[in-house]
Amino acid sequence: MGFDYILVIIGEVLIAIGIFCDLVASIGMLRFPNFYVRLHAATLGTIGGAVVPLIGAALVAAGSDFLGTYRWFMAGGAVITAILVLMLAPAGSHALARAAHRSGAAKVFPKIADHLEEDRGGMK
Amino acid sequence: MIGLEEQVTTYILYAIPIYMIAFSLYIVRALKGPTIPDIVLAIDALTYDLAAFLVILSIFFRSPILIATAIVLALWVYSLDIYVAKYLEARELGE
Repeated sequence: MGFDYILVIIGEVLIAIGIFCDLVASIGMLRFPNFYVRLHAATLGTIGGAVVPLIGAALVAAGSDFLGTYRWFMAGGAVITAILVLMLAPAGSHALARAAHRSGAAKVFPKIADHLEEDRGGMK
Repeated sequence: MIGLEEQVTTYILYAIPIYMIAFSLYIVRALKGPTIPDIVLAIDALTYDLAAFLVILSIFFRSPILIATAIVLALWVYSLDIYVAKYLEARELGE
């Protein structure tokens, strides 16, 4: 009984951390000035707000014996989803940021210096 | 000490409204976002958190099929990102 309880407590702590990161990221998404700064909030939202609670949910599922036969299935499924989101989220947001910068769809308006633009010889 | 089952279910029950607040803030950015990448980024972050929320709900409802939908949802929003990126950069949709 004790070991299950420890697993569930650790899982719930991870879920609490994830919820906190999720709230901070959604507030950041609203308050940040332009698209490129909002990428930071999106990264916090996806990694801190999705992967961490998924690992927490895996621990909670592994520790909760009331799930019966589904217990280890759900723990494994949550870990797989966490690994999947860990791979997909950075790749997707990087592709989006690259396309936004190259196509000029998102302007860099509190602009001091845009070295990438200079290196690529100004916008097409 | 209350049982494991009640503790987990009441914990997830309290987690649901906080998740709803985070989702509504993401939706506000998705509706307000001035540029197209902003909207797609908000939908992207919202959907990954929705996938995590689905897995937590699958523990709450004791139905493991929700994890399969969460995996499909994560894959779907990744393809949305790639589609919009391909369209923005080269005006082609990968035909």
